[in-house]
Amino acid sequence: MSEVSPLQQSAPWVRLETTEADWDAADPALLGTMFAQLILIRSFEEFVLQLAGEGLIHGPAHSSIGQEGGAVGSVLPLVSQDTVNGTHRGHHQFLAKVLTHLAPGGIDPTQPVSADIREALLRTLAEICGLDRGYSHGRGGSMHLRWDEAGAIGTNAIVGGGVPLAAGSALAHRLARTDNVSVTYFGDGASNIGSTLETFNLAAAWKLPLCFFIENNRYAVSTKVEEVTGEDRLSARGPGFGLASWQVDGMDPLAVYLAMQQALAYMRSGQGATLIEADVYRYFHQNGPFPGSAFRYRSKEEEAAWRARDPIDRVAGHLVRRGIMSREAVDAAIASAGALMAEIGEVLLEPVPDGKPGERRIRPSEWPDPGFVDTGIRGDLSEFECVRTVDRDSFTGPLTDMKFIDAVAGVMGRRMELDASIVVMGEDIHRLNGGTNGATRGLKDAYPDRILGTPISENAFTGLAGGMAMDGRFRPVIEYMYADFMWVAADQLFNQIGKARHMFGGSHPVPVVLRSKVAMGTGYGSQHSMDPAGIFVTNPGWRIVAPSTPFDYVGLMNAALTCEDPVLVLEHVDLYTSSGEGPVDDFDYTLPVGRAAVRRSGSDVTVLTYLAMTPYVLEAAEQVGDHIDAEVIDLRWLDRASIDWETIGQSIRKTNNVLIAEQGALGTGYGAWLADEVQRRYFDWLDQPIQRVTGGMASPSISKVLERAAFARAEEAVTGLEAMGVGRDA
Amino acid sequence: MPELLRMPEVAAGATSALLSCWSVAVDDEYPAGRVIAVIETDKAVVDMEAESPGRILRTLVSEGTEVAIGDPIAVIAGPGERVDDVDAAVTALGAAGDVEAAPARAATESRPSDSVADEPPAAPSPPVPTEASSPSVAADGRIFISPIARKRASEVGLDVTTIAGTGPNGRIRRRDVEAAIAAGGSLRQVAAAEPSTVPAPLTAADHIDIPHTRLRRAIATRLTQSVTTAPHFYVKGSARVDRLLALRAEINSAGDVKVSVNDLLIKAMARAHMLVPAMNVVWHEDHVRQFVSVDIAVAVSTETGLVTPVLRDVESLSVTQIAQQTRDLAERARAGALRQHELEGGSTSISNLGMLGTEEFTAIINPPHSSILAVGAARTEAVVEDDAVVVGQVLRVVLSVDHRPVDGAVAAEWMREFTGLLQAPARILA
Repeated sequence: MSEVSPLQQSAPWVRLETTEADWDAADPALLGTMFAQLILIRSFEEFVLQLAGEGLIHGPAHSSIGQEGGAVGSVLPLVSQDTVNGTHRGHHQFLAKVLTHLAPGGIDPTQPVSADIREALLRTLAEICGLDRGYSHGRGGSMHLRWDEAGAIGTNAIVGGGVPLAAGSALAHRLARTDNVSVTYFGDGASNIGSTLETFNLAAAWKLPLCFFIENNRYAVSTKVEEVTGEDRLSARGPGFGLASWQVDGMDPLAVYLAMQQALAYMRSGQGATLIEADVYRYFHQNGPFPGSAFRYRSKEEEAAWRARDPIDRVAGHLVRRGIMSREAVDAAIASAGALMAEIGEVLLEPVPDGKPGERRIRPSEWPDPGFVDTGIRGDLSEFECVRTVDRDSFTGPLTDMKFIDAVAGVMGRRMELDASIVVMGEDIHRLNGGTNGATRGLKDAYPDRILGTPISENAFTGLAGGMAMDGRFRPVIEYMYADFMWVAADQLFNQIGKARHMFGGSHPVPVVLRSKVAMGTGYGSQHSMDPAGIFVTNPGWRIVAPSTPFDYVGLMNAALTCEDPVLVLEHVDLYTSSGEGPVDDFDYTLPVGRAAVRRSGSDVTVLTYLAMTPYVLEAAEQVGDHIDAEVIDLRWLDRASIDWETIGQSIRKTNNVLIAEQGALGTGYGAWLADEVQRRYFDWLDQPIQRVTGGMASPSISKVLERAAFARAEEAVTGLEAMGVGRDA
Repeated sequence: MPELLRMPEVAAGATSALLSCWSVAVDDEYPAGRVIAVIETDKAVVDMEAESPGRILRTLVSEGTEVAIGDPIAVIAGPGERVDDVDAAVTALGAAGDVEAAPARAATESRPSDSVADEPPAAPSPPVPTEASSPSVAADGRIFISPIARKRASEVGLDVTTIAGTGPNGRIRRRDVEAAIAAGGSLRQVAAAEPSTVPAPLTAADHIDIPHTRLRRAIATRLTQSVTTAPHFYVKGSARVDRLLALRAEINSAGDVKVSVNDLLIKAMARAHMLVPAMNVVWHEDHVRQFVSVDIAVAVSTETGLVTPVLRDVESLSVTQIAQQTRDLAERARAGALRQHELEGGSTSISNLGMLGTEEFTAIINPPHSSILAVGAARTEAVVEDDAVVVGQVLRVVLSVDHRPVDGAVAAEWMREFTGLLQAPARILA
């Protein structure tokens, strides 16, 4: 007979409930502030629903009415430097953080609100209405509320998408040697998605000062929490990951406050990440001014039972019970909060000219200028103004033949030496003498806190890096062992990092560097052999560099680490082991942004290529050199904003023929967008369709002969050049 | 052996022509010289004559079809030649067996082993060389030419319809244009091919859209080309023509051929050209061509538009011969029966609106000419003669001149000679 004994998770899991004694002991000013915040948020949300009913909110209005207790109770013990983010239902968390930031000493509910608070409510409402006055000039709207100054680092429309970003903020707090914490709010729906679960693990492993605050409102749109999980006490997940966890009644703001105080003590003392589950209830449907029962996924009785536990009534009751406020004062405060919102609304709204009685519209002057549509997708590169930029022709230092991989480790070592904000993370980069390829050789010993081996969770650590970059105190560098893993982290790369600057109004930098290895030709098969350039180039927020020589690697990596935009640095394992010209001792120069390199001058055809295909194209050009005079341009900067049209255009006007040469599969290939742009820019200069050399349709296989047949090298470039029918024999 | 009958190049630079009708039936034997088909170009209706006796085995294009120059239009055989299997003969000749216009494309681009038909090949397909002589024209008359080649040809005014493309699908590439320029390629002569049938006007409540005829479009194209490529300047002149009119009356009183004032003016133009040979020129990209004899085009107004048949060797023609030939050309022009060669050549034109009472006007040079004389009506005017005002018949003319081959002084000298001839008309006949 086997012996079976119960096991216990090492992290604590508790439920906290208040007693009458807790309410009696609570500071009257705390309860007054709690009440003031609750009624301001409730009035704000009611006003938003009123506008939604009038058709004045474009897009969804995810009401937080009923859930205010969780947000207010948890934000009140925070300081301005503590950071919070949230999801699509984030008005209440955002407002609670803003109110706490603007009135750290508390708010007296019997007094009119300060001008600061009035202004903040107005800007928040303007953002939700999509107006220029908003924090992001109306670009973000209801689901993307961000005001860094208040520690509100951005709500998110992707369920779970903001959770890794909050981890980045938390790591920044710790690396900056503060005791600040980061709180990420999400619901029962987001508790089941990978981003969240990966971040549970990462934050617990790295003991980040991060609180996962679950507002369990029991419904993901209309899907009940019991339907989609085997353990609907969502805080039960925390201990499994090593997270100290609390369960608390979210309709009791004081209980939440007390639980958060305990969690803060845990986090501020460096013990690690925490999880709080607050049981709350949204009185309305997913969005709009109708209750969930109207959509028949729950009953009116259930809604009435939750409404009977309303957090405002509860706090008001204790205020009256303790004689802190009279019932009349409570009612008056609620009425004046409503009046305040109506008054704020007047700033943004006006009667429709010749409209029906009471019909309103947005004041035309409040809208953003449509010309603002694409402003601020990327930065203005002003960060390069004081940087020493040189190119190969203007570089005066000594050069030597060096291993490409030594340039990779060399320039990163030099930057980390001079810039303490650089933090590098990726899988196995801290071991194996510099990771799987030696790119971080020697760096773990020199900078143990800034070379971080990650769990195998690209989405979490990419988002964490994105969150750090948006925080601004650190400059994260992430490494993907294989480029194909971008799909695993696609939400963070493209929905979050790539869009963040633009979505939040155009002025928040996102300085993150992604080093992504292309491993075509190493026999790793279909899921490890992609060239990601063609995918990244579809996302305008990313800049892309593709160094093909050690000299260029140093200069382009320095440019990437200077840039205030996300930069993808493409690396190719074929190049790692190659040798080429590189600096002897100067690892500080920066290549100019947006400058391509003409590797070979020619008159018959312009070949546009990059990365490891460059040497293959040069080899091909020599092979056909007796009858085709090819001009080979190594693009170096691949993204739409940085590509060197001047050099490309000059060459096309000369040769009238264009061949775009890349190694990888056609479908995800880079050349398609470039061919499109080239034909529109240079149509009158072309003597034939833009031609391409690419790999095959399918991603390369494991079998050596099939793999070789699936991607392009010098032989394919020769075929491509010959097929153009240019040159002397043609 | 059966052979292919191909669409002849009825006008220099034409890309296509209309097979207007078949004049002999299939299998009917014809002698050499017999008209076997009528072909229409922008400007002329041409009888296609048999080079040798024979018969048509099969027509490959139906009447009213626009056919690219050089494309097969029929399979023919010698008289009495037995052809048992016409289909096999047609196939052996590589011609399409139906009565549709054969596509001009010599070969379509082939693709390397690529089993996925709807996706592009991984590597560029090799261009397939086409017959060097085949023009780069699709069955619908579209010319395959690369953007830079089109741009380059347009810069130098080269007629792309005369260039054979060496690229895929016979596409004209830049190198083909450069080669044509080096070889002194021809300037644009005709407009692009037009639909062979003129659709009915589209009527609406407030307007009628009258579709272009081939001639209308040709006029538009050529005259637009003229004013955009030939820098015009204008020299005005006037002459007392009392004596000229008297001379004409004298000539007409004697013979049965009636001579018009215009015939005398044509003759005077020829005389002036002989006196000022620098006017008897046309512009080419790398030279100015000066003619020995004087060929003059005469503008003839027809119901469908303006045509300009050319009188040859006018300097050696008598005015009665000029009168006869002009009348013949004008009549056939109005009947649409001019031969293409009768519309080509010359260095100058005359356009006379005098019969309509126009006092004075300017005309647009008819390419490739270097000038055109616009003639108004002879009018009775007060003329100062020996310090006294007298009544005289005055004719006003305006010469439009292409400044590329001709400078102002040359034109002025020509005008002085010409008006001098009009005032001393006996010299015209000398």
